[in-house]
Amino acid sequence: MKKSILAFLFFCLFLGCGIAKAQEVAVVANKSVKASDVSADELRDIFTGDKTSLKDGTHAVPVTLKGGAAHEAFLKKYVGKSDAAFRAAWRSLVFTGQGAMPKTFDTDAAALEYIASTPGAIGYVSAGAANHEGVKILAVR
Amino acid sequence: MKGRLLVLCFICSMAMPLFAQDLANLQIHGFVTQGLLYSSNNNWYTTTSMNGNVQWTDGAISFTNPLTDKLRVGIQLHMYELGQLGGPNVDVDWASGDYRVAPWLGFRAGKVKTRVGLFNDSQDVDAVFLWSLLPEAVYPIDNKSFLLSHMGFDVYGTFDLGKQAGKLNYTGYAGYRDLDLHGGFVNEFAHAPFFNVYTNAPSGSVYGGDIRWQMPLRGATVGVSELVSRLEGTCLTGNIIVPSNLLYAYYGQYERGKFYAAAEYRRWPYTGSGIIFSTFPIPIVEDLREWYVMTSYRVTNKLQVGTYYSHYLNAAAKDNSLPANYSKDWTISGRYDFNQYFYAKVEGHFVHGTALDYYTVTNPTGLKTNSNLLAAKIGFTF
Repeated sequence: MKKSILAFLFFCLFLGCGIAKAQEVAVVANKSVKASDVSADELRDIFTGDKTSLKDGTHAVPVTLKGGAAHEAFLKKYVGKSDAAFRAAWRSLVFTGQGAMPKTFDTDAAALEYIASTPGAIGYVSAGAANHEGVKILAVR
Repeated sequence: MKGRLLVLCFICSMAMPLFAQDLANLQIHGFVTQGLLYSSNNNWYTTTSMNGNVQWTDGAISFTNPLTDKLRVGIQLHMYELGQLGGPNVDVDWASGDYRVAPWLGFRAGKVKTRVGLFNDSQDVDAVFLWSLLPEAVYPIDNKSFLLSHMGFDVYGTFDLGKQAGKLNYTGYAGYRDLDLHGGFVNEFAHAPFFNVYTNAPSGSVYGGDIRWQMPLRGATVGVSELVSRLEGTCLTGNIIVPSNLLYAYYGQYERGKFYAAAEYRRWPYTGSGIIFSTFPIPIVEDLREWYVMTSYRVTNKLQVGTYYSHYLNAAAKDNSLPANYSKDWTISGRYDFNQYFYAKVEGHFVHGTALDYYTVTNPTGLKTNSNLLAAKIGFTF
């Protein structure tokens, strides 16, 4: 019986860690974005400058954080690049005349304020900070 | 008169909010670098690198303004000094309007960067690369202007082929390009027998296209580029005409997390003629075969290391075993980013062959077949 309880606790702990990691970052958007979810591929395309609109036709304005755990987690999970490689890729677009740099903010709160007031804005923040009146949380498929 | 002034003031007052609103989205970015060259045996480019030389400065500033969701305008000013090349001249690197109708169709017009191979359009943007010098066989720093940009237009877009097939990016372009009057080609001619200083920048039409497939394997891209160009230039003592010729390139790259690898092969055969003193024709026959393989690894978020091998051969030369007709370069490189703005690079080149990199003006007593180069740079970007 003891073993079963221990195994159950271990399982809960393992599950808890998984949930904690999955909830590290939340993808949020301005309420003008029609979709309630977004695919991982769409996210990558938007945040690498490959696409400027979502599948539902909404013009997407990418918003990034300057650094921090949510920023690192987002890049690792959805973009597949390190922070330095991510910045280099955007600089390459900007300095060759093929793109404009995404808006970047120091804090979750500043990013949320901008996303809330900018039609089409889509960004990410720490999961715990995502509740904000002016934004919606997008599920990632 | 007073009435006119009032009308003018009224118009200005009406226009100011619009102007301010338009400028609210204006983005300004730039970079500045300072380099050091120190070599054995031969002096590199037009510097006195055997003694150590810091005449290697590079900088650019860009202004970009997304006017609407689909329309963006911008301009980038660029200057470089590399020994006797470049100098304090500020050039327009690109200046264009970009209208993206849909993901699969966009237009760019003005002075635009030319898309050939992996790095042609970004080769003068030091801040984005691990390397201080890109593979010289394909992207010679002293002759960047040969293909860097064109005055004309681009048509471009991306087709989503579905999750199982990846994406297809295309770019087509047409226009004309001027060579850099302060670049390596013109400098070498100024010191060549018979020919003399170009009276204006050699120029010619250019058109071509690039197709790259972003494969379903995440991070993998392969592509092909083709470019047709012609060149005409007039010197004090004669002129040069290189009729339309085709350059083509095949390339691939793979990026996964901290790992990056790329390879590119380019072939550029052409024939032309030079005529000096209006009477003596000189045939020009070249068949340039250029390729490189490179790999890099990001050890930490701040430190990146890598190596490449670059190979250049003029296959049309009668004896292409002569060092003057080839160049083989092994390179090792490291880059350290102190923060998001400051970085430093150190690079070692081990070169065999003399077809690239060297100039008569700084090597008057001839060239040695082997030369090593230490290139170091510090840079600032924002």
